[in-house]
Amino acid sequence: MENSSLFDKLSSRLDELSNLPKLDDEVSISKLIEEKGFSRREFMTWAGAMTSMLMLPASFTPLVAQAAEIADRLPLVWLHMAECTGCSESLLRSATPSIDSLIFDYISLEYHETIMAAAGWQAEQNLHNAMQKYKGRYILMVEGGIPHAESDYFLTIGAHGKTGQESAQEACADAAAIFAIGSCSSFGGVQAAYPNPTNATALSNITNKTVINVPGCPPSESNIVGTLLHFILYGTLPALDVYNRPKWAYGLRIHDACERRGRFDAGEFVEQFGDEGAKNGYCLYKVGCKGPYTFNNCSKQKFNQGTSWPVQAGHGCMGCSEPDFWDKMGIVHEPLGDRLYHTVFGGLGADATADKIGVGILTVTAIGIAAHAAISLVKKPKE
Amino acid sequence: MIKIIEKIEGEAKLNFNFKENKIDFVDVEFMSTRNIENILKGKRAFDALVINPRVCGICGHAHLMATVQALESCYDNLILSDKAKIIRELTLNFELIQNHFKWFYLTLYPLFGKKQQILKATYPSQLMSKAIAVIGGQYPHTSYAIVGGVACEITEIDLIKVQHYIAQTLKFVEQNLLKVESEVFLKTEDANSLYDGDLTEILDEIKNSELLGYGKSYDRFISFGENSFFKKGKSVKTKVTHNISLVDVKESQITSSFAKNVSFKDKYYEVGPLSRAMINKTPLIIDVHKKYGDSIFSRILARIYEISQLLEHSRGLIKKIDLSQPSYIEPSIDISKLSGSGYSAVEAARGTLIHRVELESGIIKNYEIITPTQWNLSGGTRENHGVSQRAMVGLSDVKIAELVFKSFDVCSVCTTH
Ligand code: SF4
Ligand code: SF4
Repeated sequence: MENSSLFDKLSSRLDELSNLPKLDDEVSISKLIEEKGFSRREFMTWAGAMTSMLMLPASFTPLVAQAAEIADRLPLVWLHMAECTGCSESLLRSATPSIDSLIFDYISLEYHETIMAAAGWQAEQNLHNAMQKYKGRYILMVEGGIPHAESDYFLTIGAHGKTGQESAQEACADAAAIFAIGSCSSFGGVQAAYPNPTNATALSNITNKTVINVPGCPPSESNIVGTLLHFILYGTLPALDVYNRPKWAYGLRIHDACERRGRFDAGEFVEQFGDEGAKNGYCLYKVGCKGPYTFNNCSKQKFNQGTSWPVQAGHGCMGCSEPDFWDKMGIVHEPLGDRLYHTVFGGLGADATADKIGVGILTVTAIGIAAHAAISLVKKPKE
Repeated sequence: MIKIIEKIEGEAKLNFNFKENKIDFVDVEFMSTRNIENILKGKRAFDALVINPRVCGICGHAHLMATVQALESCYDNLILSDKAKIIRELTLNFELIQNHFKWFYLTLYPLFGKKQQILKATYPSQLMSKAIAVIGGQYPHTSYAIVGGVACEITEIDLIKVQHYIAQTLKFVEQNLLKVESEVFLKTEDANSLYDGDLTEILDEIKNSELLGYGKSYDRFISFGENSFFKKGKSVKTKVTHNISLVDVKESQITSSFAKNVSFKDKYYEVGPLSRAMINKTPLIIDVHKKYGDSIFSRILARIYEISQLLEHSRGLIKKIDLSQPSYIEPSIDISKLSGSGYSAVEAARGTLIHRVELESGIIKNYEIITPTQWNLSGGTRENHGVSQRAMVGLSDVKIAELVFKSFDVCSVCTTH
């Protein structure tokens, strides 16, 4: 019942959007997907995967497919701030031969420095025009942290030498929805690591409007595309956690759906890289996995079109979708244990509020006991 | 006249000065910085493994390799298994290859008035990224290379997957870029007898629009990254020497830009695929260099040729992997007890990347990163031009200057670390 009213709501939203003029009459996403050699069936399989990722029932698949097909009704502006371009890279590498990237490439990506056709003065003009023409309608995605306060100088952009902060603020002002893509834009990122020489900050700190954070370093291509589809489907903000991360993607910890979780529960740990446990796929907690403290869907979605993810490759999660993980997730190859770092919540640990089951519980949970308490006993002492 | 250059993975500002309708001097300016070197100071040694790949999302893997090798070089007697070495080399190769595709189809194509070939850029780069992911977990930003080896325990099945991705990429190259079998291409020694794929289309375009020979600089090349494929050395007007030392590499601050200059024995050198091929004495590239010098034509051909070379070389490397060897050998001393300094040089897509580190009881006292683009884009003076500056001087058309500039495959993200 609940589902059917949601279904109706989403479908009428999509119908409304379908009536909007296309941004470019000459391309149509569905035709393009077909031209690139995807059968309808393949497209629907992709839509099915997206549907489940967005935590919608399978019967919503046709709606998600429709949302993808009408993505070219919504103008999108993508801004680069202080970053490493890893998020764009993640996106440009989405599903082969790339239904995700097809959608991104052919929706009106009105402004994206790496892949747009225009450059220089022309590019800045295009950005300005897009923001005027689609005032109040465009979706803004920002990649990168914002250098701010006295150190504006650490980032100037475009022909007119605007500071990063000015450009971002201007773009936020008339956007229909604002997404901070990646941990840099969401939380300041690597450049904000102590001592934060450029005073880099989160996008949400320089605008009064709601910013939806899609952290990860980089976030998976599916989380980026899923964010767009979610907005098309609902037209409203998704349910968010305390860090403004959409719950459909960041509702669970890495640890909750980790393929090595059975090993954790059984108390089977890799004691050292390269040991028998490593060969047998034991849990990576003792060699520094931060999966129990990190909210993201990597273990389910994986990366590079579902090829793999860090834990699968034998290296623990580093907690890259948590605020300031560089400074707060502790020593990279050692367990966080019950060490409490200074988080914004006064040292309670990120998960203490994001999810009530967190560091504290893990510490007293019998199954995890060996995990952190015995590190010094099991690790061979070195000189 | 000021021109803002994008689509170079970030942004750079070129300020063109004209004299009698010819470019007389070009100021190259980068307008941002992130100060990563300062962030590294005071952090634990292993933190660099997490932070440094984030210097650049485009060649983050090269930064991971440079970091792990710099830290390892702080040890006196660290041992790596051959397996770990080969695995690291493979993933680095794959990163180089996928970069070259994107540069060719995303950056270069539009410069010749053609439509960007987004799908042709993404399809093969995705295959290569997947090959990295099979070994390293994800791409970009893996963390699987650790001091003492690699974290992954790959299996026969993983190797089969990687071989499959290589085969698919080769197929793409043969069907699109070259229109000839890769083996035949690799045996070609005459730069004028290429076939008719996308590569030839661009090279023909250069010939037809009379751009042959444009973009010449000092004809001085350097390369410090060594592995089973790349050789260390320098080439000055085709004279190659291998006996060079990182001690002679100097970084210096300039006022007009956030990027620092890099020189070797106080001279500017070009880095990148053309340099590597000159130092490796690759016959086809030696031929093209003989005919057209260190021009855009040679730079483009060298970069694309490297795709085929690295794919072929990677196939051979996989055959050499002995899965029974250890992935990781524990270093004799815990890094938290280690003091000393170390450095590394690896070949990233755009050229030599250098990391230098100083540790005191496992804490980073100093960290220095020199990126490939810094070599090529050093902002010299009117009397002593940087490599790319020199290549642009004398041109009368700003559009052509932009083409010359971009033939160095500039990356401002790295440069503004
Ligand atoms: S600690 Fe890490 S490797 Fe172990 S089960 Fe949790 S997420 Fe997986
Ligand atoms: S597994 Fe952890 S560190 Fe890796 S990408 Fe996911 S959240 Fe980031």
